[in-house]
Amino acid sequence: MPENHEHQGGDAKHDGGHHINYKKIYFILLGLLVVSVLGPFAGIVIVTLITAFGVAVVKANLVVQNFMHLKAEKTLAKWVLGTSLLLMALMFAGVSADVLNHEGRNWENLAAKAAVERGIADPHAVGEVGGEAVAAVEVAFNVERNFDLVCGSCHGTAGDGTGAAGAALDPRPANFTDPVFWETRDRDRIVNVITNGGASVGLSPLMVAWSASFTSEQIQELADHVMEFRPE
Amino acid sequence: MAFPKPTATLRSATGIPTGRLAVWWLLASEVVIFGGLLGSYLMFRIGHPEWADAAAHTNTWIGAFNTLVLLTSSFTAVLGHQAAERGDGKTAAKFLVLTMGGALTFILVKSVEWTIEITEGYTITANGFWSFYYTAAGLHALHVIAGAIIMGVIALDAYRGRELQRVELIGIYWHFVDVVWIFLFPLLYIAK
Repeated sequence: MPENHEHQGGDAKHDGGHHINYKKIYFILLGLLVVSVLGPFAGIVIVTLITAFGVAVVKANLVVQNFMHLKAEKTLAKWVLGTSLLLMALMFAGVSADVLNHEGRNWENLAAKAAVERGIADPHAVGEVGGEAVAAVEVAFNVERNFDLVCGSCHGTAGDGTGAAGAALDPRPANFTDPVFWETRDRDRIVNVITNGGASVGLSPLMVAWSASFTSEQIQELADHVMEFRPE
Repeated sequence: MAFPKPTATLRSATGIPTGRLAVWWLLASEVVIFGGLLGSYLMFRIGHPEWADAAAHTNTWIGAFNTLVLLTSSFTAVLGHQAAERGDGKTAAKFLVLTMGGALTFILVKSVEWTIEITEGYTITANGFWSFYYTAAGLHALHVIAGAIIMGVIALDAYRGRELQRVELIGIYWHFVDVVWIFLFPLLYIAK
């Protein structure tokens, strides 16, 4: 069995020539597990973070160095794994500023802001309970505020198509106060676009579908709000 | 009919046996997959304070028990490797079977846990936290299942005294699966 011979030869110093006490490492890992579970009982955030993530790093290092024998492995393997970790760090550094914040100098993440607002308004709401849809914001739904958040950024809070986020769009966001707009639109059409998104009727895909975020009653309320901009 | 070993199996320009080098490359790609997923979770979790309430519904004790199971299975996997190094294929196979027992226990506990959560309405579409929860834990569980299946094949060979070097290779993979869970546990069960 040539492969086994290779294995024996290649591994003669696989643990660095030192005997690793696996049982000892295992019991240290179990002790650290107990620490990470008990940490939150102190009720101090910094202690929880240290016992949760600090201990996780120590545990992972023990497994990687002693069970995976990385400490005795050739440098090439460490470079291979290190490069992947570096790529991950770059990814994190590159996008975290945009994900952690919900607004910047020239942009605003309305969906994220709306999600935070809904979640804090009714923290116990979940999408489905026993097969029955439960509205996450049924109690706290404010049609005007939601219009301003999800529609007003482009269409303008006054519905006149002058929202800041739509300034550079071509074609321009619709002006709900323009009688010409209503020559080809009705309430059903508005409900359809809010529910299924602009792309479903050949309009801008930037108008995303909101059916997953709002109940049909809330969408009806939003459509009513849009209808209020219609000139007599 | 016996086939000759592929040339690559016997070549080791790097000083690392080819099979083991391949496992390191595999794990490097896994680092990107899980690192990307967990890194994204971390960013969203910090940006969405309302997720704290959803995270409060995960059961720390179930998560801790599964951590205990995976740490123990890593211990049996490394003992299997130790036996294989001595050329004791039967003992190595026995430890691999014990490790597979750990995998089975982990999956059974996860199934019960998910059933409870889904019944309570915490489905993958409930909110962003639960989407990440099921995606990350589900991808990890798939790795557990795949590892257990491959381990079974290797245990059969090892029992017959064949391809003993593979006991170490599946062990390295298994420890990595353990390491991923070591980070998933505080992210999903402790930081609430």
